[in-house]
Amino acid sequence: MAQSAPDTARKYDLGFARWVYENVEGGDKLSMCMQCGVCSGSCPIGTEMDHGPRKLFMMIRAGMKEAVLTSNTLWNCTKCYRCVVRCPRGVPVTYILGGLGTKAVEMGYVKTEDTVRFSKAFWWSAKTFGRTDERLVTSRYHFSGGFGEGVKKSLANLKIALGMFKAGRLHLGAPHKVKGTKNLQAILAKAQEIEERAGETER
Amino acid sequence: MSDGRGKKYTYYPGCSSQGSGKHLDESLRAIAPELGVELETLDDWNCCGASVGHVGGGTLPNLALTGRNLANAQKQGPQDVLTACAACYLNTHAGNEKIKKDVAMRGRVNEALSAGDLSYDEDLQVRHACEVIVNDVGIDKVKDRVTNPLTGLKVAGYVGCQTVRPFANTDGGGNYDTYDDPEFLDDFTEACGAEAVDFDVKTACCGGAVSVISPEKTLHLIKEILDAAKEADADVIATPCPLCQTNVEMYQDAINKEFGTDFAIPVVFYSQLMAVAFGMDAKDDAALGRNTIRSEKLEKMAK
Repeated sequence: MAQSAPDTARKYDLGFARWVYENVEGGDKLSMCMQCGVCSGSCPIGTEMDHGPRKLFMMIRAGMKEAVLTSNTLWNCTKCYRCVVRCPRGVPVTYILGGLGTKAVEMGYVKTEDTVRFSKAFWWSAKTFGRTDERLVTSRYHFSGGFGEGVKKSLANLKIALGMFKAGRLHLGAPHKVKGTKNLQAILAKAQEIEERAGETER
Repeated sequence: MSDGRGKKYTYYPGCSSQGSGKHLDESLRAIAPELGVELETLDDWNCCGASVGHVGGGTLPNLALTGRNLANAQKQGPQDVLTACAACYLNTHAGNEKIKKDVAMRGRVNEALSAGDLSYDEDLQVRHACEVIVNDVGIDKVKDRVTNPLTGLKVAGYVGCQTVRPFANTDGGGNYDTYDDPEFLDDFTEACGAEAVDFDVKTACCGGAVSVISPEKTLHLIKEILDAAKEADADVIATPCPLCQTNVEMYQDAINKEFGTDFAIPVVFYSQLMAVAFGMDAKDDAALGRNTIRSEKLEKMAK
C-alpha cells in the first residue's frame, strides 16, 4: 500500500465527518468504526488502494475532505462485501465507499478515473436503452480516454471479443431495449430532479 | 406441485442474459420446469444498475431502476421475484429492502415512478435462484431428477461474492447458507453425481467490475482461483455468477501471458451441469457451446 508522508499544507475540514454522516449512504454508521482494521485486512484489492478503508475512515474523522474524495480507494473497491459481513461493528463499508464515490463525482472531485469513465458509459446505456449493451458500454469506455487509447484497449480485447462472438455471447445488431424507453427515461429524469431538489436543501 | 406446473416466480433475467451470460439464462430456463419451478419473465425488465450505476446516474436514479422492475413485478402478481444473476440479486434485493423499510425513500422512489404511471407498494420478496433451489425445491428433488450422473467429473465450486454477500444467512436473504463457507454449490455438484473437490477459495473475489474496467489490477485475483482449481485437479470450475463466469474464463489467456502459466480450465454454470445430469440436450438446454473454453469431458457425458 502506498504510504504518504504527513502534509502540513493539507486543509482540514472539521465538519467533514458530520457531512459524511448526513449525506453519504451508510455514513451515519461511520461513528461505530473502532479502527480494528478487519475491513482493510479482508480486502482482496487493498494493494491497489491509496488507503485501506480503515485509514480512509480515520481520515474522514480528521476532516481530510479533499484527500478522501480524491482517493482511488473509492474506485478500486470490487464490491465483494467481505468487509461488510466481517465488520464487528456493523459498518456498511462497501456502501460507504460507493456513497463517497457518488458524491465525489457529483461534486466534481473526480473526472478521469477509469471507473468513473466506465460508469458514465454504463449509465448512458441504461438510460438510453434501459439495458446494458455490453458491446457498446465497453467500446464507449475504451474510447472515452481518446482515440489512441480506444484503439489500444480494443486491440487488447480483440481476442476475447472474437471468442465471445464465436460462442454467441457478443450481441451484434440493434441494442436490446426495454419496450417503454420513454417510460423509463421519464422515471429517471424525475428521480434526478428529486435528488437535485434534495441537494439544494442540503446546501 | 400438484397442478403439474410447479410454483410460479416472476423471473428477472438481467442484461447479461442477452450477452455474456446467455448460457446461464438458457440452462436455467431448461432445468427450472424439471424442478417444479415455473418462470414467468418480468415484463419489460430493465437494468439493475449493477456495481456502477450509482456513480454514473446518482443514488436515486439508480434506485429508481430497481423501483421500476419491482413496480412491473407487482403488476404480475404477489409471487416472489427470482433472479439468477448475482448483481441483479444484490441490487434488487437491497433496493427492495431499502424501499420497504425507509419510508422517506419509498416516497421518493414512488414520486419518481409516478412520472411513468407506476408505483410500488407491495411486499414482494426478491430471491436468488440458488436459494430457491435449496429452500423451495430441495437438493433431494435435484438428485431424484438426475438420469445421467456426471460420474468422475471433478468440479471446483466457485461461489464468488455477491451471490452470498452480504445477504446469505439473513432472513431476507433466505437463510440458506453462510457467506464465508457456503456449501450449496458443492451440494448441487454432488446431487449431479459429480465430485466436489476441496476448493478453499470458493468465495474469493474475481475482481468484479474492476476486472472489466482495469484487468491489470485484478489478474492476480483470478489467477489465485485458477491456481486452486488446478491444484485440486478440477476438470471444470462451476459458478452461479455470470460476471465470475466471464471474468475467470476470458482472462485465462492474459494470465498465461502475464504469469507464464498454461491455464485452459473450463468455467461453467451449475445450471449447465444440472442440464447435462438431467439428460437434457447439450446444445439447446445445457448451452455448452457458449463456453469459450470447452470441457471435452463434460461434453462427452452430455446427451
